[in-house]
Amino acid sequence: MDLSLLQALDRDRILEVLQRDKQLRIIEEDRVRRMKYELQELRRKGAKSFARQYGERTCARCQRPLGKFWNSGAVCRGCSHRICSKCRVVGGLDWKCTVCHAYREVKFRTGEWFLEEKAKKFPVITDKYETVGENLLRTYNVLSHISVVPPTPPPHLDHQFLNRSMDLKNSKPFTKSVENLMVSFTSHIRKISNSQNDVRDDLLTVASSRSGSDFSCVAQKSLSDTDINKCSRLFKVPSLPNLFKRSKDSDQEGSSTGAEEDTSFSSEYSGGKRGSTSSIGTDLSDTVTVSGELELALTYNTYTSCLEITVGSCRNLSYGDSKRRKCHPCVKLHVLPDKSGKMKTSGKRNTTSPVYNEVLKYDIERHLLFGKRLQASVWHSGTLKKKVFLGEVLIPLDGWTVEDKASEGFNWYPLCPKVCDGFTGHYSSD
Amino acid sequence: MTDGDYDYLIKLLALGDSGVGKTTFLYRYTDNKFNPKFITTVGIDFREKRVVYTASNPNGTTTGKTFKVHLQLWDTAGQERFRSLTTAFFRDAMGFLLMFDLTSQQSFLNVRNWMSQLQANAYCENPDIVLVGNKADLSDQREVQEKQAKELADKYGIPYFETSAATGAEVDKTVITLLDLVMKRMEQCVDKPPAESANGNGATKLGDAQPVEKKCAC
Ligand SMILES: Nc1nc2c(ncn2[C@@H]2O[C@H](COP(=O)(O)OP(=O)(O)O)[C@@H](O)[C@H]2O)c(=O)[nH]1
Ligand SMILES: [Mg+2]
Ligand SMILES: [Zn+2]
Ligand SMILES: [Zn+2]
Repeated sequence: MDLSLLQALDRDRILEVLQRDKQLRIIEEDRVRRMKYELQELRRKGAKSFARQYGERTCARCQRPLGKFWNSGAVCRGCSHRICSKCRVVGGLDWKCTVCHAYREVKFRTGEWFLEEKAKKFPVITDKYETVGENLLRTYNVLSHISVVPPTPPPHLDHQFLNRSMDLKNSKPFTKSVENLMVSFTSHIRKISNSQNDVRDDLLTVASSRSGSDFSCVAQKSLSDTDINKCSRLFKVPSLPNLFKRSKDSDQEGSSTGAEEDTSFSSEYSGGKRGSTSSIGTDLSDTVTVSGELELALTYNTYTSCLEITVGSCRNLSYGDSKRRKCHPCVKLHVLPDKSGKMKTSGKRNTTSPVYNEVLKYDIERHLLFGKRLQASVWHSGTLKKKVFLGEVLIPLDGWTVEDKASEGFNWYPLCPKVCDGFTGHYSSD
Repeated sequence: MTDGDYDYLIKLLALGDSGVGKTTFLYRYTDNKFNPKFITTVGIDFREKRVVYTASNPNGTTTGKTFKVHLQLWDTAGQERFRSLTTAFFRDAMGFLLMFDLTSQQSFLNVRNWMSQLQANAYCENPDIVLVGNKADLSDQREVQEKQAKELADKYGIPYFETSAATGAEVDKTVITLLDLVMKRMEQCVDKPPAESANGNGATKLGDAQPVEKKCAC
């Protein structure tokens, strides 16, 4: 369908209608974003805070302890978490936990159900659901006079849109202001999106040929972290169905590995005792194959001036001890480049799909986030306090200078091998 | 005029031959007015209306729960020259008002064609549709009998209403019936058991197979 075949007058009338539709869509998108954000909040509240004791049987929603025989809770069919009787919502014959219930409700109210149905018949080729009207408007470039401010950026990038707003931005002199940050951010995205297509093709081939569980090769093709970001961005799956996926073993949470392990270990391995087979050396041939994904949610809390990182879970990790097929993973966080804000989750035992749901907080003024990156790495705690590197994710934090509630949800990031840019010596856990 | 203070945005679309009264019908529904002037719709247009929807149980009793629904009612041009444009918009609508003119046998015969257009272009093979015979007030010029239309609707398994945009008869009821169907559909879509568990997460541990050793040019 092509509007150019129509008479100019007709076309203008139609574009006018599409503009009106756009106004409505902006309101709707805002409403949807708000709803999804509230859902994330609910889920985050339900996430076990890392200060809480693990191993103890508690309701996944209210954290009240559950008994062995009476008040022992039951497993929710939606999320497989153990839920006390108070945190259930009955609907029809079945019940769901409060979060799963809210999730269902959001699926109705956001119209997500419709998008999913539509996608079954008309597969979404771009990584964005788009209405016909939206698409037509875009092709006719009539947005330029409205969109002076860059739109809320990821999760999905509308390249043309961004490029257009960039052109407007570029004509202004640079000032040290928030606007400045926004411009840099937008150009950052632009950089990514420019070469996105070819990378994407590669990713698709890899994903289809190897069940999507091992993206490491693609990430290694080029070793700058923007490339890795690129790859993680592409694999962000912000649609609701993925928010509540849980691995089977989510209920058997292991005991904490204790923090003292860290320090005693660090000297060993930053000191260069490489070469032992199960620990990570600087020599990549010795490392465990990196595979799997890490689920994170990032929020900047303006009231407490801190970045809240919720570590959701991992899936399809490699065995840290491949000989004995063992894996006791934990997740460590650092803020780069200064490696400040060291944080770590509890350790899980005997799982390659650990569930953490822990909120880790990093106190920092929002504007200081600019130029920083979050490094989240996954480690296996082996015998003799050896730590084995299982993969990492680098996330630029620049984006948090821009309010974007939509990207504050949980996202899956493919784990990448270490970046070989001279950082190798610094991967100690201290 | 719009704000985000509603619970659902529901998009419906009116289709049918040119002149059957789609524009007039929607104008009657949203503004409760009748404009006897014939103004050809150019390609597409839409009107909006906020309604309060009362959820009902499968047996028809009300649950007492009410929701604010923002209706976006798409109007389409029936003319051939806009065909590719209008049918493209079919896919973004959640429900359809398939309209013909009770005083025009031809517009009724064309219902079949519109039906197949819907099947091809709507978001799914069997979307929610209400068949609407309009201009019921012009009883002396009637060319389509109620029985005839009812049979066709039954064949498709969809409701049938005879309306008048001029008097407003059955107009509200028609739209609300369609809205109700869409709301029910929504629940069916979400609550049906998932056909496939997406991606290899959880139970079937893909990782159990020894990870393939890969040497990457690093
Ligand atoms: N008497 C009568 N006239 C109607 C009715 N609905 C529409 N019309 C007239 O039919 C003509 C075509 O209506 P319109 O809404 O523009 O048709 P559309 O092409 O389907 O949008 C107009 O002159 C309307 O006034 C109705 O229910 N009764
Ligand atoms: Mg019309
Ligand atoms: Zn509870
Ligand atoms: Zn649940």
